[in-house]
Parts: sequence; structure tokens; C-alpha cells
Amino acid sequence: MSPVETIAAISTPPGRGGIGIVRLSGRDACPIAGKLVELRAPLAHAHARLAWVLDDSTPPRRIDEAVVTFFSAPNSYTSDDLVEIAAHGSPVVLDLLLRRALGLGARLAQPGEFTERAFLSGRIDLTQAEAVRDLIDAKTLAQARQAASQLGGALSLRVQPVKRALLELIALLEAGIDFAEDDLSVATTEEIARRINGLLPPLEALEKSFAGGRILHDGLTLAIVGRPNAGKSSLFNRLVERERAIVTATPGTTRDLVTERISMDGIPIELVDTAGVREALEEVEKIGIERTHQALADASIVLVVLDATAPLNGDELKLLRAIEGRAALIVRNKCDLPRAASPQPPLPSSLAVVETSALTGGGLTELRAVILKLATGGAAAEPGALTTLRHRDAVRLALAALKKSAEANVQHTPHEMLLLDLHSALEQLDELTGQTSTEDVLNLIFSTFCIGK
Amino acid sequence: MSFTEQYDIAVVGAGHAGCEAAVAAARMGLRTALITMNLDLIAQMSCNPAIGGVAKGHLVREIDALGGIMGQVADSVGIQFRLLNTSRGPAVWSPRAQCDKALYRVKMRELLEAQAGLHIRQAEVSGLVIGELTNAAPNQAARRITGLKLRDGRILNARAIIITTGTFLNGLIHCGEERYPAGRSGEPASVLLGEALRALGLRTCRLKTGTPPRLDGRTINWDAFEEQPGDADPTPFSFRTKSIPQRQVSCHIAYTTPRTLEIIRANVHRSAMYSGQIEGVGPRYCPSIEDKIVKFPDKTQHQFFLEPEGLNTHEVYVNGMSTSLPMEVQHEIVRSIPGLEHAEMLRPGYAIEYDSVDATELDHSLRVKSIEGLYLAGQINGTSGYEEAACQGLVAGINAALWLKGSQPFTLGRDEGYTGILIDDLISKGTNEPYRMFTSRAEYRLHLRIDNADRRLTPYGRKLGLVDDAAWAEFEEREIFRMAFGSLLNATKPTADDLRAAGLGDLTSINGLGWAQLLKRPQVSLEPLLPFLLSGLKMQPALHKLAAAVEAGALTSALRNQVRTVETEIKFAGYLEQQRKSIEKMKAAESVEIPTWLDYGIISGLSREMKEKLERVRPATIGQAGRIPGVTPAAVSLIHVSIRIQAAKRAS
Repeated sequence: MSPVETIAAISTPPGRGGIGIVRLSGRDACPIAGKLVELRAPLAHAHARLAWVLDDSTPPRRIDEAVVTFFSAPNSYTSDDLVEIAAHGSPVVLDLLLRRALGLGARLAQPGEFTERAFLSGRIDLTQAEAVRDLIDAKTLAQARQAASQLGGALSLRVQPVKRALLELIALLEAGIDFAEDDLSVATTEEIARRINGLLPPLEALEKSFAGGRILHDGLTLAIVGRPNAGKSSLFNRLVERERAIVTATPGTTRDLVTERISMDGIPIELVDTAGVREALEEVEKIGIERTHQALADASIVLVVLDATAPLNGDELKLLRAIEGRAALIVRNKCDLPRAASPQPPLPSSLAVVETSALTGGGLTELRAVILKLATGGAAAEPGALTTLRHRDAVRLALAALKKSAEANVQHTPHEMLLLDLHSALEQLDELTGQTSTEDVLNLIFSTFCIGK
Repeated sequence: MSFTEQYDIAVVGAGHAGCEAAVAAARMGLRTALITMNLDLIAQMSCNPAIGGVAKGHLVREIDALGGIMGQVADSVGIQFRLLNTSRGPAVWSPRAQCDKALYRVKMRELLEAQAGLHIRQAEVSGLVIGELTNAAPNQAARRITGLKLRDGRILNARAIIITTGTFLNGLIHCGEERYPAGRSGEPASVLLGEALRALGLRTCRLKTGTPPRLDGRTINWDAFEEQPGDADPTPFSFRTKSIPQRQVSCHIAYTTPRTLEIIRANVHRSAMYSGQIEGVGPRYCPSIEDKIVKFPDKTQHQFFLEPEGLNTHEVYVNGMSTSLPMEVQHEIVRSIPGLEHAEMLRPGYAIEYDSVDATELDHSLRVKSIEGLYLAGQINGTSGYEEAACQGLVAGINAALWLKGSQPFTLGRDEGYTGILIDDLISKGTNEPYRMFTSRAEYRLHLRIDNADRRLTPYGRKLGLVDDAAWAEFEEREIFRMAFGSLLNATKPTADDLRAAGLGDLTSINGLGWAQLLKRPQVSLEPLLPFLLSGLKMQPALHKLAAAVEAGALTSALRNQVRTVETEIKFAGYLEQQRKSIEKMKAAESVEIPTWLDYGIISGLSREMKEKLERVRPATIGQAGRIPGVTPAAVSLIHVSIRIQAAKRAS
């Protein structure tokens, strides 16, 4: 709501598009953008500039090219300074840009917040405004639902003890200040240090859980690749559990990517069926095969389908080389038919090999189990892991505030200043589990300490 | 033919709220009446004979900085001054003073009587004169108050009325099994006014508070208790106070014994609080002694204080022993304490229940939203404490005067003072227990210090006409001092000799730093360094006073206050800046006003509960809406957008 705050978001739909845009709006939009990219010319109102996207290593490395457009306040969509960084649509690059922006002081925008700002500054009309209201309306519901689900959820169970301990420390220090005339003992520097330090490990573990937990939220993509007519589309349909992709006996039927979102044990998975890899016969197929390679590069998990009735060919060997070191598995399909001799050279022993028959459904149960194992990869199985960037950000900021107060405590900084950072840590944890009010702090004080001169 | 009197403003009740309200209104040029049931009990300290305390001391400083009177009166009758919380940072240092209770009344009455345009009247109010307003806009007041009916038959006409009834509104005293209607011990309750207010249809609630027994000091063996002297160098409340006139005395610290606890445990069922006789809600921060023992059974002893009620009386207030146990049990409790074996009780402790009005009926100017011209201040709004009452009285008095003059209301932001926080909390959230100020209620505590209360508020007081020329000149002088001293510290550097002499010589890393940078070191404080700044101080006329004091080795507490302001702002600049950013954020939300015509009923997406709360409070700004309990950030966005939508629809 406050125009001084800088907000940031990826403003193109998730997944790979041709171009992805990260938007920044607010007072610090320009300085933050200036650190995210290396501009070839200074920003000017309503002008596009070429720039290099930088990563966060020192010295920063150029990882992508981007077009950066700046709109100066008040002549922008939001009426604040607005910067749009259009990079190639790789989710990895966009994610990095957004995370770095948050690290540089931007706040993750709420859904619809750019439009809301635009509306409040009078940039859009009433009909559009009503659409915005509906959006916020939906957000209210979603927030309520999310809050309700968080309340009893694993994340909440994990955060609550930390939050409670933090609240107790706050109550101890607040009581000391507000009831100085009562015979409460003053918390010592050592006691405060002990308590703050006790809060750090669980929060650090929580922050680390993000990488795994994120899969739960964003889901992952699984690309099915292989030579033409190996049965990729049949397997795809089996996994989707309906006839989604067109299956014929003719090799090269699938010309473009076919995607479908499925849920395996609650984990959202985007399945991508691809064109078979071979020397293309014509232009359309050639484009299809290029897209296969693209999908293979972007996928979180690669499923290589081999035809169990035929020996490995050169295209398949190339595919097997391409998945080295990646999360992948191999399926030998058509196992209902007489098989060819064992593949030569032998399949990489590091990868799981599942024998299936897309025709009969044989081996599908095992296949699902192997995919799930790859998808959860340990970390995500952890209960109460962080699943959204917003939550990860909150935990990170809470940790930073706690560390700052720990340092200040060692310097014997007065308690009301330590409390500034302790309260801001609490506010961040509130993002995960719901609001704490002044009344909550007072309640804890009155139930813990015998107050009353 | 009835006898009538004509005033601009009438203030009902001459307690701590009423006195501030009446003086402010009169000083602002309005013909003002102050009506009290007993002329001899103006500004009575019904409970403990002390002003200030943590956060409350801040309130008194603010009242003083705005041009109110509590600080000056307390300074003139204070008999033990202590600056609290000095083991913490300057933001939470807070002054407190034990006062001579009888003298406090005398001084206050002197001040009231000396105020031009202020007319004190003894009378009981028996009714309110209310008229209907035709063509009132939706959500605006539909009625207007025009005067008071007095018990003696008089009608008192006034264009604005401020009601400050304290605990008198349908007051009911409980002492053990006994109970009787009273406003305070020995004084009648305001029953007729209570009925008149009830007839207005305002939401009310029943609150409770308590007070401890008073003892005869001649029957106390003082040697049995630890003495608690005041500060050698008293910190006054008022920026205008130059010296503390009264002889200073000590308080004494005492503890309960196992026998005390036994007596209480055996008799808890006879306490009015525990027998179910009391329905009002009491303050958790000021529990009765029986409450402390029931709620904290593991605590083996409880501290209390023996506080003198004045220099010319032997009456002693037993702070920390508030109770509603029967008289004979109180007697036994007192006698169970070594040193009080022979103590005589002058008055027993008691609990009192009284009516208060739900403060969400009010707006930021403390005006009743549904009735034009009617203002409420003090305990009637659900607060407890003299200081909480006084700051409301001041704000109500100022606003009644401004309204009559046709000016915009005076409101203070949460970033400007505890007074602003108190009022915003009350009118946005209401309260279900007597509300007391705590520093933890302040989001921007570091900026709300006693040392800068003048800078925060005196310019407002001056503009309102409450700060006289002399006080304003002193304020300007302090401002010049602050700037001159700040730039001296920023512009000059200590020599190596200075550092050695100041005992900082071993901090080799500080060589070459300026004084200001040096001050940022946690181990460095400014006062011991002043002798090394002497030459610089002498070069600036604005700093000559300080130079002279440093040379004489005697810093007055006023000068010390000024030095601390400068030191605090340099030393904790980082933290102050951090808070300033939050303030900026809050102000953005505060700048979006919610029009009175906004219809919450048609905003889809707001829950029914939220709509009801918003309808009741009718927040003035988006910021205030967000502080209403249960109103979520998304709901606030929704309201924000709906303002625009409904505005566009009204226009078309």
C-alpha cells in the first residue's frame, strides 16, 4: 500500500516462455535494478536498454542478456518508479533476478499488487478497478484459506515453538522495561544471548528446507524423451490416466510438446511429452525436435524411453549422454513383446531402469514409485519444509534480525533497541503463522510475571 | 423561572482529566465552567499519592510540552523524585514523583482560580440537555448537546460539554462482604448523571479498580524496612521547572511473610473479587494482593512499598497491597508483617466498580461520534491512572475549543506521542480492562522520549495558544543549543591527550575520529567527556550555559536532559533511522482518509464481523482501519480500492 516500498515479482506466467519479465516498482526500483544487471547505457524514462544479467558471485558473472525498460514516477503504470527486466524466459534466471532483488531490499509483491498500485494512483478506470477488487477479494479468501491450512499444518507446528520462545524473550525484556518498579530481575546479557542463540539453529534448518520444500509448491517438470515410436505418448497417457496425447503406429506423430499437470502423492508434476529424436525429415519435425532438446534442458526430471525390442541407436546414445549427472530414469518399454538382446553399451548403473508395457500397463506402479522417489529426493519429504519464496524470505529476514540483535546484545545495547530487531523477527515469523498483537505480548507478561506495584 | 448560566464549554468533574480540559479551554479563550461535586476535593489523588512511572512519566512530559498543567503541579508538590529505568536506554527513562496529596489539591486549585475565563462551580449534574439535529448526513451525529441540568435546579447552557466522571459513574464500593454506592471512599456516586448517559444509548461496560489500606505512620516501626531514597538530583516533569521546592523524603520497601500468605489463602473466599460479588473487569497490571497469591501460588513473597501521603500527615499508602478483603482480614494481613505489628489502619482498602463508555463511540478528538458537542475524557473512556486521564482531558479541552472556533481537530499520531497512541488505541480497539499506558504499546518507542517531548509537541502547544512567550523562548533556546552542540560534536575531534585524559587512550582504533563518531562506541558516554569539550563550548554563545556548568562541575538536570538528547541521537542514529523508515510506511497509510459516506455493507469480501467492527469504529484513515483487531491487510486493500469505486459511482 505504501508507495515508498519497493515491490518485485516475476510478471510472466511460471514455466518457460520466450521472454520472462521481472518487475520492480517503488522508490528503490532503479538502484536495485542497477545492481541486478550491468547496463550498457544509463536508464532513461520510457527507453529500453540492453544489459547483462549478473549473478550473485563476486565478482559478478554475466549469465544472460536482458532488455531493461524504465518508467519514471509518476509516468508509469504504478505511478512509482517502475523497472522491467526482460530476460530470456529461463525460470532459473528469473528466479535468480527475483531472489537478488529481494536480497537488495525489495519486497515480494502480493498477487495483483502492481495493478492495485496502478489503480490507487488513478492509472486505470472503474471497470478495471472492479476487476482489481475481485482479485483482492479472491486474495482475501485465498489468504484466509492459506492461513487456516497453515494454522494446523506441519510448517506451523515447526515454527510455533521458535515463535513462542521468541515471544517469551520479548515478554521478558518488555516486562523488565514496563515494570521497572516491580521486583523482576533484569535479564543479563548472557541470558539474552543464550535465548537468541537458541532460536537460530531451528530457523537455519528451516531456511535450508526451502530448496526441497519448494518442489511441493511449484511442482516440477518431467520430460519424456526417446526415439520416435518408442511409446513415449502411450506412457504419457498412462501416467495422465487418459488419452491426452495422440498415439499412432506411425513414428514421428508427436510434433510439438504436449504437457499435462498431474499429481503424484500430492506433488504436482508437469509431464511433457516430446517429439521423438531422429534426423528430421521435414521442417515441422525439425522444429519439434529442437523443442524436445529445450524441454530436456529445462526439465527437473528426464525420463528416457527405450524400445526394449530394438538395440540402442546413435540418437539414443546421445540422449543417454545428455542426461549424465541429472535427475533421470530409464524406461524399457514394450516389455510385453519379445525383447532384443541386452543394450550395448550397458545402461548407466547410476540410473534406475524400469521395465514397462504401456500397452498392458505392466510396470507402471513401479515407474510411479521411482518418479516419486526422484521428485522428493529426500528434502521435500521433510515435514514443514518451506515451500514459497515469500516464506523463505521471511525466515531469512527473521534470522538476519535475530543475528543483529545478538551482536548488539554483546555490545550491551539497551534492551529497547534489542527489542526493535526482536520485534521485527517476530513480524517475519508472523508471515508464516499469523499475526501477533501487542495484546499477545501483554497477555504473556501478565501470565508469566507477578506484576503490580 | 429557572436560574441559568451561559458558557462556551462546561467540564463535568474536576479530577485530573477535568482540570486539564478546563484550563486548556480557558487558555484558548473560551468561557469555561468546571463543575465539581466537591470544591475541596479538586484534583484528588484517589489512589496512590504519586505521579509518573514508566510510560506515565512520558505522558506527563507530553502534557507539559503541549502546555498542560500536571507536570508543573506535580513538580511543585513532589516529595520524592526518581528517574526510572536508568539501567536501560534513554527512550524508556521515565520520571516518577511521590506527591504531597493535600498540597496537590491546593496547588491545583490555586492554578485553576488564577486562570482567567475559568469558572469553578460546585454542583451535581442531574441531566443532559440534548436536541435533535435535522438534516444530518449519514454516519454523522444526529443529536447535539446544549447544556446540563443541575441537581439544585439550575440549567447550565454550554455549546460543548466535556464529561470526566472518573469512577463516580454508578460507582459501587466493595470491602469484603460489604458494598455500597460511592464515587470514592466517603463521597457519593454520580447516579443521576449515570442514568442520563445511559439514556443516550452509548455502549457501556463495567470496570473495576482497587486501592490498598492506609496506615498511621506513627504506628510503623520504620527501622524494620529498607529505605528507598529519591534521586539526589531530581528529574522534574516540566520543562519549565527550575527547582524542586519541597523537602524530599524516602519511601520504604517491604515484603509479605509466609504468615501473610496463609491469612490471605484462608480468607480468599471472602474477598469481593472472589466471592462473585464483583462483575466489573479489573486491571491485570494492578492486581489485588489476593489475586497475586491465587495466580502465582509459587511466589513465596510479594514486594510492597510504604509511601508517605504528604509532609504534613502521618498517613502512609501501602503500594502493592490493593485488596477487597474484609476489614478484619486486612487488619490481620497488615499486622503479619514485621514492623507493622502495631500498625493502625486509617482507611481500609477497597474495590470499586464503575461504568465506562466504550471508547469506540469516540473519534480522535474524543468527541462522541453520535452527539455533536459532547466530549468524554479519563476513566469514563476505560483508562486507569491520573496521567492517562490528564492527557485525554487536555486533548478533549483543546478539541472542544477548536470545534467552537470552527477549526480542524487536533490529533496526535502514534509517532508523535504516547498521548496519540493512547487515544488511537482506545477509539480503534476499545478496551475490556482499565487501560494503562506501557512503553510496549508504542511502535516507535525510540522516538518518543522524555528528552524530546518538547520538540515533538511544544510547537503544537504554541500554535494552539497554550504555550506562553516565556516557555516558547526557552524552547527555542533549547533548540538552538541542540543544533549548536550537535554540530560541535560532528565538526571537532579530540586530541590524543584528550583521549588519554578521558581514559580512552587505550582505544587506539579511535585515533583520528570525531567526537560524534566516538560517541557511537558502546563504551563511550558523553557526560564524562564534557570537560574535554570546554574550549569548543565556550566558542558558541548558545553553549555558554553548559560551559559554565561544566566548569563549575554541576550539571542541572535540565541541562543534562539537553545533553542526553544530543547524545542519544548520535549514539543510536542507526536504530532511530530504522524506526523512521517504519514511521514513513505508517504515515503513507495514515494519509489515506476514509470518507464518512463509505458504505462497508456493500463491500463484498469483508466478513460480517469485519463489517460490524468497521461500522462501529468508522476509522478515519486506512492506517487506523488496519489497527482494528481482526481487520486483515487484504481487507484494508479492499477498503482502499472500494473508496475509489464508491467515489466514482457517487460522482456518476
